[in-house]
This record gives sequence, C-alpha cells and structure tokens, in this order.
Amino acid sequence: MAALPLTEATAAYRRAWPASFVAGGTIFGLVVLAALFGPLVAPFPYDQMDIMARMTPPDATHWLGTDEFGRDVLSRLLYGARLSLLMGLGATFVSLLVGVPLGLTAGYKGGRIDESIMRAIDLVISVPPILMGLLLLSLSTPNVWKTAFAVGIIYVPIMARLTRAVTLEIAREEFVLAARARGERLWYILAAEILPNAWPPIIVEAALRVTFAIMLGAALSFLGLGVQPPSSDWGLMIAEARPFIDTAPWVALAPGALLCITVIAVNLVGDGLREILDPRLRKGRG
Amino acid sequence: MSTEVPVLKVESLTLEYPAGGGWLRALDNVSFEIGKGRALGLVGESGSGKSTTALAVLGLLASEARIPGGRILFGGRSLLDLAAEERRLLRGERISMVFQDPFTSLNPAIQVGRQIAEPLVLHRALSDGDAAIEARRLLEEVGIPRPEDVARAYPHQLSGGMKQRALIATALACSPELLVLDEPTTALDVTIEAQILDLLERLRRDRGLSMLYITHNLGVVARICDDVCVLYAGRVVESGPTSDVLYAPKHPYTKGLLASLPRVAERQLRLAPIPGRFPDLASPPSGCIFHPRCHFVVERCKGEPPVLSGIGHAVSCWRAEELADTPWPAPEAQARGARSAAHPDAAPLVEMKDLAKQYEMGGVFDNLRFDRSGGFPLRFDPPRVRAVDGVTLDIAPGEVLGLVGESGCGKSTLGRMLVRLIEPSDGEVRILGEDFGRLSGKALHEHRRIAQIIFQNPDSSLNPRKTVGEIVARPLTLFGLARGNELDAKVAALLDLVRLPSSYASRYPHQLSGGEKQRVGIARALATEPRFIVCDEAVSALDVSVQAYVLNVLAELRDRLNVAYLFISHDLSVIAHIADRVAVMYRGAIVEEGPAAEVLKPPFHPYTEALLSAIPEVGRSPGSSAGRGRIRLRGDVVEKDGLIGGCRFQHRCPRKIGKLCETEAPPWRIASPAHRIACHIPLEDLRRADAVRLPQEA
Repeated sequence: MAALPLTEATAAYRRAWPASFVAGGTIFGLVVLAALFGPLVAPFPYDQMDIMARMTPPDATHWLGTDEFGRDVLSRLLYGARLSLLMGLGATFVSLLVGVPLGLTAGYKGGRIDESIMRAIDLVISVPPILMGLLLLSLSTPNVWKTAFAVGIIYVPIMARLTRAVTLEIAREEFVLAARARGERLWYILAAEILPNAWPPIIVEAALRVTFAIMLGAALSFLGLGVQPPSSDWGLMIAEARPFIDTAPWVALAPGALLCITVIAVNLVGDGLREILDPRLRKGRG
Repeated sequence: MSTEVPVLKVESLTLEYPAGGGWLRALDNVSFEIGKGRALGLVGESGSGKSTTALAVLGLLASEARIPGGRILFGGRSLLDLAAEERRLLRGERISMVFQDPFTSLNPAIQVGRQIAEPLVLHRALSDGDAAIEARRLLEEVGIPRPEDVARAYPHQLSGGMKQRALIATALACSPELLVLDEPTTALDVTIEAQILDLLERLRRDRGLSMLYITHNLGVVARICDDVCVLYAGRVVESGPTSDVLYAPKHPYTKGLLASLPRVAERQLRLAPIPGRFPDLASPPSGCIFHPRCHFVVERCKGEPPVLSGIGHAVSCWRAEELADTPWPAPEAQARGARSAAHPDAAPLVEMKDLAKQYEMGGVFDNLRFDRSGGFPLRFDPPRVRAVDGVTLDIAPGEVLGLVGESGCGKSTLGRMLVRLIEPSDGEVRILGEDFGRLSGKALHEHRRIAQIIFQNPDSSLNPRKTVGEIVARPLTLFGLARGNELDAKVAALLDLVRLPSSYASRYPHQLSGGEKQRVGIARALATEPRFIVCDEAVSALDVSVQAYVLNVLAELRDRLNVAYLFISHDLSVIAHIADRVAVMYRGAIVEEGPAAEVLKPPFHPYTEALLSAIPEVGRSPGSSAGRGRIRLRGDVVEKDGLIGGCRFQHRCPRKIGKLCETEAPPWRIASPAHRIACHIPLEDLRRADAVRLPQEA
C-alpha cells in the first residue's frame, strides 16, 4: 500500500494553531484583561457624575466622552466588561450545560424520551423570553448571577433543539451502531462517539448566543431584574443611551462597538475551535 | 466504423481542476466516438473521470474547471466553441441525461407528469395540454402501466424502478439523438435493473438512439454496449468493441478488473485483486499511470507514458502484444474443499427460531384515533409492518451463511437482530446455546464479544474524530482484553490481520481509502475475538478491485480464525463467491436455503431463478441469444399491503400456478437433506428450470 504522504509541511501545519483562533483569542484575551483589571486603570469611578460635563463628545479628559449624567464612558466600559462577560459567557455556559445533554439524549434515545423532552422544551419556548426571565427572577432578590442563570435557562431550548437535530443525523451513522453492538454504555456513546461530531454547529450557535445573552441580560436589567443602575453593564449602557442617540451617539456607539468586537472575537475563537477539533479540517491545507 | 459523421466524437479531451495552487488533471487525452444507434460503455472505478467526461459532454462542468486541449464534436459541431446559451438549448433537446439516483433526481414537490412535460414546453414550445398528453404517451413508451395515474402521482408514491422509468421518459421527451446515462441502474435492485436494461435496449432499437453509458459494472456493459472505453485515472487505457475488450482484454488494468469480479459460476478460491491504491492525480506517477499497481511492470513503464494505439481495439500499454495471452495472476490458491465442508455434526453456533420483527408505523400522535363507537374514546392502533416474519436458520462454527435478497426484504433487520441492535418482537436467537435475545446486564455484555458486526458504508462506519488506533483499541479496553503497552501491540496485530501497516494507527479515517476504512472496520469487529460476525453488505460500497481484496481478507480470516459469518448482500455473485450455504430472503421470510452449490443449481425457487437470471455478468452470452432464456419479474416488491394470505412471492412470480398460491402458504420442498425450497410447485417441476442458462461450471 502506498502511504499517504504525511509531509513535514502537513505535520507542521497540524501542530500550528489556526489563525482565526489566535486572532480571536488575542482580542478576547484583551477584553478579559479589561474585565479583570479595568477598575484599576479606569480614569474615573464608574458612577462619578459631573453635571458640568454632561454629554461631552470625546476629548483629552474623557477619551470616549460622557453620558447624560456626565459619567466617563470609557471608565464605565472598563467597569462593565466584567458584568457583560459574566452575563454573556455565564448564560451561554448554562444553556450548553443543560441544553446539550438534553438534546443528545432526546436525539439518540428517540421515542417517548424524545417526545417528553421536546414537549417540555416547547413549554419553555411558549413563554416569551422577557416574561420567562421575569418569572425566574421574581422568585428571589435579583442579582447578576441569577440573571445570567435565567438567561441561560431561556436559551436552553435553542441549544437542546440544535443538539437534537445534529444528534439525529449522527446517531444513524454506522460507527454509533458499532458502539452499540459492542455494548457501550449510554454516556460513552453520547460523550465519546456523538458529541465530538456534533460540536461544530453547537460552537457556532454558542458564539452567537453570547451576544444575545448580553442583550437579553441588558433588557432584564432595564426592567430592574439584573444589573442595577448605576452599574455599567454594556447592554444596559446601550439601552440607557438610546434616547440620546441623535445628540450624543458616542454614548451608545462605544459600548456597541466593544460588544461587536467581543462578539467577533468569540466567533473567531469558535471557528478556530471547530478547526482544532476536526481532524479533517486540520489536514491538507499546507 | 462507417464513414458517416459520428453522433458524438470526443478528441484528445484534457480537463483540469484547480487544486492546492496547481492544476489537477482529471482527464488526459480522452478520445472516443459513438456512431448513430450505437451504445458506448465508459467504464472505470470511482475517481476514474467517467462522470466528469459526461458532464463535459453536457456542458455542466463546475465553473473552475478548464479544458486546455481537445474537442467535443456533436454531429460535427464543436460543443466547446458554442456559447453557453446555445449549449443550454442543446441540452435536454438533442442531448439528454439520466442521472444515477432516481430517488433524488425527481423533484418531490411536483407531479411526475409535469416534470416530464417541462422539457416539451421549454424546447418544443408545446402548450401545457399537449405536453401533458405527450408526457402520458412517453410514460407508456417506457413501460409504465396506467400512465394517467402515474402522471398525476408525486415521486414518493412511485417505486425506484418506476422513478427511473419516469426519468428516462423525461430524457426522451424531445427525441434526443444522444442519451447520456450515468450509472442509471446502480441504485436499483438487480431484478429491476434487468427491466431497465431491457427497456434501454428496446429504446435504442426503436428510436435509433445513441447512448453514452457510464458505469462501474462490467456485466452491464457486456449486456448492452457495442463498444467500451476503459478509463483509469482520467486516461483511456483500452477501448474497442465490447466483445474484444471484455473477452480478450489487452491492458493489464482491464485484465485485473475482470479477474477481480466474483462470478456465480466460478466459485474460485480467491479473487485476483489489483494491489495498491488509486494514484493521487495531483502528483501522478511518471510514465504509465498504472505502473505502480501493475503486475507486469518493467523499467520502460516507469519512464515513458504509453500511447493509445491500435485500430478498432486500442490499448495503451507497452507490453500489450507480448502479454496478449497472459492473464492477471491470481494469488496462490488454498484448498477450499478441506475447510468448507463445515462440520455438519458440530452444534450450531447461532440458532434462529421463528425470529420476527414488526414495526409500528408513524409516531405516537399519528396513531391516536378518536373512537366514537363507545367505550374509551381514544384508541392506539398503529399499522404494523412485518420486516422479518418467522425466520428459522442455523449457522455452524466457521461457516459462511450468505443471505441474499433485494432492498427492503428484511435482511439487514435480521442481521441486526442477531447482534441485538434491534430487539426481536418474536422468536429467539441462541448463540452457543444461550438465549441471546433475553440476556441482559453483564451476561449480555459478555455475549456481545462473541457476536460482532461489520457495516456497509466505509465513510460512516468509523468515527471521523478518532484515530485508527483509538478505534481499534476501544473494544480491547472495553472488554479488558489488553492495556498499556500490550494494547499497542494488540492493535498492531489486529491491523496486521487485515493487512494494514501498524503505522496506520495514528491516522484519521479521512486519510484512508474506502477499502482501507472497511478493513479497519473489520479489525475493530475482530478485536473482541468474536466467534461470529454479521457482514451487512460489507463490500457493496467498494470498487470491484477493492471489493476483491476485502473479500479475500474476509475469506482468509475465516480460515485462520474459524469465525462464522452471516454474509448479507444483494449481490448474488458475491454471495456465491464467499458463502458455504445460501439463504434467499423475500419480503421477510426465507424462500430457499441450502448449500451454495445446490442453491445455485436447479431445482430453484422461482425467485432465486429470477435473481440468477437478472445478474448482468461478463461471460453470459451478450446480445444475440440472451433474450430467450431471460426471466423478468413483473413490477417491484409490493410494499405496505399488510398481512397477505398464501405465498409472499405470488404478485411477481412468473411461475404462479393459480388460486393455491394466493390462499395457502407454500410448503417446504426438501430437495436434499440440506436444501429446502418454499414453493407450491413440486420438486420435479422446479428441477426443469431450463429457462436459466448458467455458463458451464468450471
């Protein structure tokens, strides 16, 4: 048998990390650094008002301008990074943690188990997201963690349905049948045979969910069920700046742009992760 | 070879695709011609460029392809010089195509009649009404009964054979001069394939159609083509009249292909596969492209590429003349007789008794019905389908039981019940005397070691995220058969069993060829040291030369390890080659069972007889005398008609004797102690199965 040439170039390529992963990772790393050390480097406290300098455009003192209360936008962004990341990543993590196993089980087991899980999930979907959030959060005093958790729960149906759809396809593959034929346990088939092949669409969806989670978190905060003013969550900042979008666009644009950059970074990391996890994509580009 | 202008003439066609910065030469100097009313078979294995050639003729190539040289002449007009719009008008009107898969080639949302009428409206500017009438006439011409009903039907309501007929009708709509057929019968059952081939033969005669017939199946070529052109890696290696090329092949590749074919009449010990793998077209070997795999290679082959030469029967090989009478060498034969006399006294390894599987159709909510006749108003009463219906069979240790039948006959369900991938609804499976069907927990887990399964599709049977080593090692760790350093050694030993180098352990499935993947699947099944393996269409997805290799590996393993196989296949030639005993299945039940040599000879069950007769095989008399002795089954397998009385083959049986067949289940006729046939026709009459003419036994 002629061997498929595993050339030096291919081997080196396989060791190298995909560019998207490195680029996304770097940007995301900076955002995380801002979240960790932001309060230390911020030029002003996030809640320090300056009535004399309300809605000033960006200048030397206030690099990104000030908002309607004269608070420094840059400082608020730096302070807000922590809350926003917590909201976006925490909620996505919760939705993955609950949704993926549910979807795997429903898709693989089928029949009544599938039917029960999916009908339960329909029940969750039937309640509008904001109302669902209100329901979950009205049970106790709101705080950021609870809001992140609630947003995560709201996104469970999406994750579960997506995972189920992918699983349905993979469960028919012959390598899954082979695993069943040698008597593998349920958890092994789900975790070791199906899940590694189901990741790609799930990762893409999860990267998207981070954004939606930040925005939904902001909406809940706006209703007083999450980040409490004068805290400076990015989503809340955008929501609060909406009335002044004509007169002081920078107040909304700055957090918007940062949110956008973060989302792109998360998506790049997701893409890179997909490539790292998939041996087929690792090969043959060199 | 007349002086008139050929319908299609391809001259030195070269075609390239961009690949990794350079150009990959998919076709190199391909030439052939098709005269009026003639059929040319374009044969080759996957990747040989046969479909690319068809797409080039039709002008349907992907836009990145480029044609640096050559001409395609259609009735003297150069197709490559035409504008895209002109080619579009030609397509469907004067050149038509029939694609491989009838199941996806029709639009499921449009009625069949309208799909056939479409080209008539487009090219002939017929009114909708006239086109509909013409569509019905076309359906009739392609042998569809009740064309009015079929024209109104949607594709899912038709069987595979009917869909392919409808597609042929679509292709014929504008009376084209050239019909391009890309593997039109590959997705169909052999009895349906025979019907379609008959239809094509008739159309060619009646309409004077020219055909470019693309296939990997040499038997089909022998059956319907006048000329044949053998492609290998985008090069024509041999071309000429079918009878010359297939019965006196000159090129080593053609010889190898023919030697790889399993045949019903010659149950030889080992097939003669072509070693090596398909060349990488991005960096093709120097000289003759076939030289790395050729048995007869000499220095000259490595340096200079040979030229296609010869009038009529042309061949591209330096040594064609001197090797004219040398066949492709067969691997050294081992005595089969010694082992194939499977110990008849030994206790059976696997026993199936009245094994049955019923499926309920539809989901939970589809079958809830409100019953207004009183009592509890909700009723759950789903329609049931009997996939397997009372099968009783034994398999002895080290025996190969071939299970043959058409798609949907329940053979895969049966195989899967034997390894408990599907739970039987009735009957029992005993393995080594234990009631396997009722084991659970630890006992079941232990027993799964004994019974393993190999699947059909090499692309789906290996987890793409795991290395070959991980895949083969998993059963070993699962059953605690090896760990640590021992594990690597065992994996290497298993890979060696299926003749793969141990370095393959670090590869991922996508880096292997189809045959190699299938061998990894075999290694994985062997890891648990099973006594019994279900081979579910294990070689059906492979090219013939690779199929021969895998069949040889399986046969060798049986001899060395004394494993028993249930070998499931739709291909009677493969079954005849490898099986010691054969069971023929039709609609969920066994209709004939016995030693291979006896099942393949009269007396036959009428279904077995029809199957044998339908196989297009090289070596059967082509053309002339074929028509008389051939048996054709009417229609397709009838589905969804619940429980039937009488013989399950009655609807299609060419030898049905009357009312008896409709009312009473046929008795077992005992042809010999080990050979039984379920039929109402007495044995003496079954013996007079003179309709099938098998070639002389070797």
